[in-house]
Amino acid sequence: MDTLNLGRFSDPPILILASLAGSPKHGYAIMEDIETFAGVHLGPGTLYGAIARLETQGLIEPLPAEERRRPYRLTATGIAFLQEQLTSLETFASMGLQRLASI
Amino acid sequence: MKITQYLLRLYPRTWRERYEEEFLAMLEQRPISFLDGIDLFFGALDAQLHPHLGTTGMSLYERFVHMFATLRRSLLTIFCAYVGFILAGWAFQKMTEYDDFKEAAQTHSIVGLSFHLVVIGAVAALLAVLAGGLPIAVAVVRSALVQKRRGPLLLLATPILAFAIFLGTMFLLEAFHHPGNQHSPMGQMVLDRGLFFGTLIAAAIVSAGSVCFAVARSEISERLLHFAVLPSILATISMALILAATITWGLSLRDGAPQLFAGNNGIVGSSTIGTWLAIVIAMAIATVLAALSLMRGLSARSALRNVTV
Repeated sequence: MDTLNLGRFSDPPILILASLAGSPKHGYAIMEDIETFAGVHLGPGTLYGAIARLETQGLIEPLPAEERRRPYRLTATGIAFLQEQLTSLETFASMGLQRLASI
Repeated sequence: MKITQYLLRLYPRTWRERYEEEFLAMLEQRPISFLDGIDLFFGALDAQLHPHLGTTGMSLYERFVHMFATLRRSLLTIFCAYVGFILAGWAFQKMTEYDDFKEAAQTHSIVGLSFHLVVIGAVAALLAVLAGGLPIAVAVVRSALVQKRRGPLLLLATPILAFAIFLGTMFLLEAFHHPGNQHSPMGQMVLDRGLFFGTLIAAAIVSAGSVCFAVARSEISERLLHFAVLPSILATISMALILAATITWGLSLRDGAPQLFAGNNGIVGSSTIGTWLAIVIAMAIATVLAALSLMRGLSARSALRNVTV
């Protein structure tokens, strides 16, 4: 699978937030989803390091465990944060495209 | 799966209590590759350095207790690393007592400069450890007197006792060391050196362990622990400085006085290169341990402030 170079948007926390924007997911589903939409493989240590940080920062929250797997979902703060990050990416992308068009 | 479980044991207990079950469930769905194993190792290191991760389910009080204990453990680990470093530094000091090394330090400027840096770093590290450790030792004594407990006082006295035993062993070795001894010269030498190094290392381990045990079992205020962080930073930086200076010393000696460097002027007549390498490795291990503990301690202190604010 080709790996996209997403720059700072390939940061594991952003990828996880983007993955959870679709629906709540547990660890394995997040890993699979990120591989599908971003072509980035997050190692298990990196994934859970990022999940732990996002949870500590209040950007995601755990849902009741389903058997041994625990799904996570975005909190209101997480949604606002992701919105801000993606808007910034959108602004950056449109500015870059405008400049390319003028070449 | 066994390797995964071993790697998971590298994670802090708090982290495992929070994430281990779901983590294992995820790994059961997807066997890990070699790179994932490395990623897991670094994930464990990251979790060790950031002890606040995995504490979201705790109450504020539980979090405070956890961070306080982590900060105390980190400072005590730095102290233990310092004791280990001292042993290596002492070996360096003994080795460089020979006249040939003193002459090399005078003849070759970099050898001399790096040796002086080792001395400066040693003084700075000692002062830093005293500045951070003495107030804590006083608090341990005060706490023991108030609670009328003799245990911590005995534990604090243990290093003096251990040192006395070490000196006693040296005295006995000296007293029994005479040409008419029934042991062969080689057997005598092995026995002497074995007893010397064995007693020295045992004394250092017992001393560091007893001090740590006394501090861990006493009531130490949060203010004192916060105060000890700055001296711990200075001690760790000093250890890194000494390590760098010791490496520079060896490399400059190799260039400036290759015969001396390749000779057998190390500790107890061993090779200079071997002794120098052993000292550098021991110093490096102690410095890395101190640096990692410092990072963990700083992270715990930061989390502690967030809890108490």
